[in-house]
Amino acid sequence: MKTTLLRVKVVINSEAKEWTIAPGDLLLDVLRREGYFGVKRGCETGECGACTVLVNGRAINSCLLFAAQADGCDLLTIEGVAKDDTLDPIQEIFLDHGAVQCGYCTPGMILSTKALLARNSDPTEAEVCDALAGNYCRCTGFRKPIEAVLAAAAARRANGGKKSPRAAKVKSR
Amino acid sequence: MSHDYNVVGKRVTKVDGVKLVTGRPAFTDDIAVPGMLYGKILPSPHAHARIKRIDTSKARALPGVHAVLTYKDVPRVPHTTAGQAWPEPSPYDTYLLDSKVRFVGDRVAAVAAETRAQAEEALRLIEVEYEVLPLVLDMEHAMDAGAPMIHDEPDSTGIFDAQHNLAAYIHQEIGNVEQGFREADMIFEREYRTPRQQHCSIEPHVTITWLDSDNRLVIRSSTQVPYHARRQVAMILQIPVQRVHVIKPRIGGGFGGKQEMLLEDICGALTLATRRPVKIEFTREEEFYMSRSRHPQILRIKMGVMHDGTIVANHLKVLATTGAYGSHSSTVQGSTGSKVLPLYRTAHMKFECHVVYTNTPVAGAFRGYGCPQGFFAQESLVDEIAHELGMDPLEFRQRNFIQLGDIDDLAAQLGEGKKGLPRTIRSCGLPECVERGAAAADWERKRKAPQDVSSHIRRGIGVACSMQGSGIAGIDWASALLKMNEDGSFNLQVGASDLGTGSDTVLAQIAAETLGVSLDKFIVYSADTDFTPFDVGAYASSTTIISGGAVKKAAENVREQILRVASRMLETPVENLTCRDNQVVTKCECQKSVSMTDLALHAMYKEKTQIIGHASHFNTDSPPPFCVQFAEVEVDTETGRIRVPHLVTAVDLGVAINPMQAEGQAEGAVLQSLGYALAEEMQLDERGRMINAGFADYKIFTSKDMPKLTTILVETEEPLGPYGAKAIAEIPINAPAPAVANAIFHAIGVRFRKLPIRPEEVLRALREKEKHEEETSDEPAGVGAAIPRATPRH
Amino acid sequence: MAFEHIEEFLRPTSVREAVRALHREGRRARVVAGGTGAALRENRTVRTLVDVSRLGLDYIRRKDRGWAIGAATTMTALEESRPIREFADGILAAAAATCGSVQNRNMITLGGGLANAWATADTAAPLLALDASVVLANARGRRRVPLAELFLGTDRTILNGKLLVEILIPAPPRGGRTGWSYQKLGRTESDISIVNCAAGLQVDRAGKCVWARIAMGAIEPTPLRARTAEAALIGQTLTLDSIEAACDALTREIRPITDLRATAEYRGEMSAVLTRRALRECAERAGCLL
Repeated sequence: MKTTLLRVKVVINSEAKEWTIAPGDLLLDVLRREGYFGVKRGCETGECGACTVLVNGRAINSCLLFAAQADGCDLLTIEGVAKDDTLDPIQEIFLDHGAVQCGYCTPGMILSTKALLARNSDPTEAEVCDALAGNYCRCTGFRKPIEAVLAAAAARRANGGKKSPRAAKVKSR
Repeated sequence: MSHDYNVVGKRVTKVDGVKLVTGRPAFTDDIAVPGMLYGKILPSPHAHARIKRIDTSKARALPGVHAVLTYKDVPRVPHTTAGQAWPEPSPYDTYLLDSKVRFVGDRVAAVAAETRAQAEEALRLIEVEYEVLPLVLDMEHAMDAGAPMIHDEPDSTGIFDAQHNLAAYIHQEIGNVEQGFREADMIFEREYRTPRQQHCSIEPHVTITWLDSDNRLVIRSSTQVPYHARRQVAMILQIPVQRVHVIKPRIGGGFGGKQEMLLEDICGALTLATRRPVKIEFTREEEFYMSRSRHPQILRIKMGVMHDGTIVANHLKVLATTGAYGSHSSTVQGSTGSKVLPLYRTAHMKFECHVVYTNTPVAGAFRGYGCPQGFFAQESLVDEIAHELGMDPLEFRQRNFIQLGDIDDLAAQLGEGKKGLPRTIRSCGLPECVERGAAAADWERKRKAPQDVSSHIRRGIGVACSMQGSGIAGIDWASALLKMNEDGSFNLQVGASDLGTGSDTVLAQIAAETLGVSLDKFIVYSADTDFTPFDVGAYASSTTIISGGAVKKAAENVREQILRVASRMLETPVENLTCRDNQVVTKCECQKSVSMTDLALHAMYKEKTQIIGHASHFNTDSPPPFCVQFAEVEVDTETGRIRVPHLVTAVDLGVAINPMQAEGQAEGAVLQSLGYALAEEMQLDERGRMINAGFADYKIFTSKDMPKLTTILVETEEPLGPYGAKAIAEIPINAPAPAVANAIFHAIGVRFRKLPIRPEEVLRALREKEKHEEETSDEPAGVGAAIPRATPRH
Repeated sequence: MAFEHIEEFLRPTSVREAVRALHREGRRARVVAGGTGAALRENRTVRTLVDVSRLGLDYIRRKDRGWAIGAATTMTALEESRPIREFADGILAAAAATCGSVQNRNMITLGGGLANAWATADTAAPLLALDASVVLANARGRRRVPLAELFLGTDRTILNGKLLVEILIPAPPRGGRTGWSYQKLGRTESDISIVNCAAGLQVDRAGKCVWARIAMGAIEPTPLRARTAEAALIGQTLTLDSIEAACDALTREIRPITDLRATAEYRGEMSAVLTRRALRECAERAGCLL
């Protein structure tokens, strides 16, 4: 059996990277191998969305994409959402609204939210539900995540689309 | 309910929240262990078979394979995998690897190889010759004479009657139900059936084991029960407990599925065999049929009532199956009796239960722990009775509810494997739950005059109530360790397992409140058998009340030490001092104070003493939380599809330490219960194989299925709980299913006594009802029509 | 589960290169577009993957009042395309929008769903109702085939190493009033289809139906046109009764399957229900009062 290794070039979380991969490697496996542990393995059949990453701004299930197909693409994983110690407002709002319980689906939900709000600054609740329908969650019942997404959209509109940086510290109120 | 706390009762964000929203490596598999091998289990393709011959030579010869284990290679130690306090009440009927397999998915062998692909290939190369045995899948036939004996091995213990596949038998009674039935004006008896449900934690079971530099077996695992896992692995692998070190990282959901020592033993065995780190991670498919699930039950419930609606006798008979092994068999079903019947006061109660083995996937602990089954039956029957009596369903329940001050004697009969303890109701918010829940659900108006959406979409509203427990009386216990650092921060070490529930935060809030310091001063570490003191683990809704009780005591102990140091520093008696706002201040007008930071520095470097406290805690009672839930449904009479537009939960959880997390717990529980009611069922074929072992066909509710949720926290003050807390983790999963079934009856006049309620069944039932109405057209057209309906204009 | 048996991942830059590779590798090769490696997991004989997502096959173009859609066009692209949303009352966009989650729709391609012959593919019924044809390419050139002829059975097509490159949708009937509808039924809100139905009607000024299309998916091993039901409508004044008659004809015409999602009986009943709903919606959209 003669396997032809491939080199893929990506920009991931604004960093240029080059990976050597096997042709059958799935993007999920390569990402976790490269240390992006925030991308989770939940079903490997493209249903639960725990492996969600953004490829060229679009949410996809990295368990179904061959790593080779990511060549030349712009990737965003949860590790690239906060800027150093400053949380993205979406992350802040998820925390403030209690939308995080076990946290396993959270990276996927946050990325789905980012993709949604980049295209739709004023989503209806139905649109939010649709955006999150591919992020399975067994802990929250979705009520607080949906509220958080709507609040994040509202905050973004109020801020004129500008981010309001807040430090990523453990907080108490 | 108002109380004036600084941290307790506040909607604070989770102490581990930032870690989770930034996707930091925190879960079991989020580490790269050099030299780690991939372990995999070879599952049995047969539901019942003996291994006549097993040849692993080809597998072992495959490059990259480091170990292949069969029953010949490992010690044979009967045990239970149930994460329960020792001595576990579950039968010791399980073996690390055995020469007999008892369900499709049972362990045949295990391999460890350098890559996942090699491990999978190695499984394919193991040659097994099976003697396929007759199987029994139907619990109603498991005890028949001539049924195949699933546990015919001589060395298992704790099985009630292995000959008849009876894992457990439970029989409890107070009063005399026969007498009660003689006294009753009317008797109602119905049978209900509940399905096999799977937890579907988004993180599957995963364990990584390795030998550390001291040759101790380190187990890093997604577990709710690190201490039980340690004890059980030590016993199974025949190494001293001292040689085992269990680490529980962040967990991606458990819901009882991880109240089980599931992979730790076999993973550890592979590490011992290879001297290498080994990881076993279930695929989603394996998770479905090789892990644990909810016990399916057939419940026959009989109630005797007076004309005025008073219940005088309540008799529940249950047939349940525990699958191929008896994990949690007596305790889950025990709860079906002990936590369900006492909701309604009556002098005469009886609970009988047979828990049988079948050659099916193994059942175990699952949120609610026998109560979802029991309440589906009881809350449905109560609704049927109210309807027959022409009483409002809420009024009927209120007439019979358990009350503040009552003593629940049934609980005394059902402890975990030994005599239980009677339960005294010291806090009860049922009346307020009813009132506030009904208001939020617009119960009166929607009950009297449901507005149909259209000619083919009928609306209805239903209610169901429940109770649960908070910790297992006299058995669940916890301890906590609290250490002060020189900057006024604290390490809080607890064996309690935060499985996503937010217990780390709740426990820190309790400590913070007790010490008068802010929440951000705590570094919470849970759980690690080397560094955190004992805790039974996260189950039985025990963490807030029991682990919280330990934390409170430890914090009180530390507070005393702090006050003594402050007393010396401020030269004032301890009685004149109090802690608040990260400092110690005098109560009198002299207004002296010292910051926690200065105090800590002084204690450490001047007095040269470590301020550190610990405490253990348990309760001799299990104060029940109470819950009332209202479900609105829309029934599409053309497709049979049921939609739930609104679900109201009013829950008495004692004092809510963290209301935001508590609401989140309730909302997640509702999602699982709605799935149980309408969509979820592990389906097996005639050979015992699960045919829907994937999310494509095991349907859980997604964001698009969820109704509008209204969650009302009704607070009461529970004397046995820290700051008055009880529990919320499980209870909201008990009543949505019967509330939905009751709502469907209200909408279309059809009773569903079997879950899940599928569209096909709804349609079939509607057709039969139509036919019946046509045939008996001189009678009123179905019960549903008795309720005046507002018909919409098109 | 892992794809370690894959030896080569080819990324051709032209259709010609792609079809040559497929021809060369024969049964050892599989096309990959949106990823969805799920279909490949069972098949350990595949050694070569041919990525067709960068052959310039993602386009939506007007063609003779109809459409030419590249096979690598995603469900999201269809869903978001304003012209497609406006075409034929948006049934193709509507079907694309129900193809799983956002993540799924960003990956699933129009060609992929058809080439894999998923009985449940949500876009098959609308395309059949729209009289779509597919363009298949191999080393010898391109061939146009009516969509209905593509399917041989569940997961089986006539492709046999050819590459599906384009889907052509002809112009819908001119004149008169037309209305289209797409209906889907699953077990829950996010589900694979148990039944789906795409319908189109054209009525004249007198309210007589002069043209009808009814296509069903997920009820039989391949998507189908309900021709008897269509015939029952044509030439009749469109009324609730004529719609009912068409649904009856449909029920007699189809041979629905039983699988773990639904029984044949339920599928049969739901086919009638969805068809009725679809036809009524078509009528409404065609400005027809029933």
